Amino acid sequence: MSGGPYNYSYIFKYIIIGDMGVGKSCLLHQFTEKKFMADCPHTIGVEFGTRIIEVCGQKIKLQIWDTAGQERFRAVTRSYYRGAAGALIIYDITRRSTYNHLSSWLTDARNLTNPNTVIFLIGNKSDLDSQRDVTYEEAKKFADENGLKFVEASAKTGENVEEAFLETAKKIYESIQDGSLDLNAAESGVQKKPSANGARSLTGDSSDARNSSSCSC
Amino acid sequence: MAADALTDYVSEEYLLEFEKNYNEEKANGGKVSDDTTFQYAWCLVRSRLNTDVRRGIGLLQGLLAASEKNRDTSSPRDYLYYLAVAHARLKDYEPALKSIRTLLRQEPGNRQAQELEKIIEKNRGSDAVKGAAIAGAGILVAGGLVGLGMALLKK
Repeated sequence: MSGGPYNYSYIFKYIIIGDMGVGKSCLLHQFTEKKFMADCPHTIGVEFGTRIIEVCGQKIKLQIWDTAGQERFRAVTRSYYRGAAGALIIYDITRRSTYNHLSSWLTDARNLTNPNTVIFLIGNKSDLDSQRDVTYEEAKKFADENGLKFVEASAKTGENVEEAFLETAKKIYESIQDGSLDLNAAESGVQKKPSANGARSLTGDSSDARNSSSCSC
Repeated sequence: MAADALTDYVSEEYLLEFEKNYNEEKANGGKVSDDTTFQYAWCLVRSRLNTDVRRGIGLLQGLLAASEKNRDTSSPRDYLYYLAVAHARLKDYEPALKSIRTLLRQEPGNRQAQELEKIIEKNRGSDAVKGAAIAGAGILVAGGLVGLGMALLKK
């Protein structure tokens, strides 16, 4: 990435949550490094990852907070939910218990983030289809009932990893464009870089927002 | 927004919440559970106040010593990691590196720990450059004063 620190127009904050061992850090690593970490120790507390992506012609820096799944950390990792524009909830398609705990993760995500936070459900380890313990249909139904975006992905092969992170960003960008996400709110999870080229004023310029809300990338 | 483990600050609200839990357990029976102590320490080391960070270090050192005594093999990594974070925040780079390298000896392939080690080394380096710059400026000022004195004497 060349150029100064402001070669992007926005920063979006994401959190990644879910049970221990579902592959949260591996998904993050696959997304930021395009590599699979075969031997991944349990995360200590919280890890950070960043990557600059492009959505609708806008460069966006994703700042991703990957939380430890171990129970002892959970009380404190809750304090990281606030101000997240995107929340990725992960379960492991080969371990039913991690799916059964989704409602508890979802409750936390809903209670501790803002109403505009985009919540994306990811069933990880789709490469292990022979060991599958949760069907696609069942998880899709859960996602639909709760208004969540959903994919099955594989941190190992990279399948759908990029898509999940980018789809989330696109949804966030859309709610900026249509004005439902107030960038001035302290907990929007979005920061606009004032000096960025190509960044439009999104607050108080409704005609601009209206014109570009039909973004269909 | 924070960019790495050393610039991730706790909000006052959460710090107070975990402080309250800790004090309540202490008031109830005297012995505070490891998890409650750790949660409080984790908040303290992310405070903007150095006195809080130091207090967090004290709690983590206590937890680490107790876990070694009990031959607990799962938790020391958490304590070592946040001890490294805490020392680095106070710019005490040597103990910070010592803590993270102890963890890396136990888990040589731990990328999260490797990254923290890199950040600490980088910060130590840039602080050293800043220190040298300040010292250099000091020498220039002193030199200037001597020069001025000599010029005045000549006069």
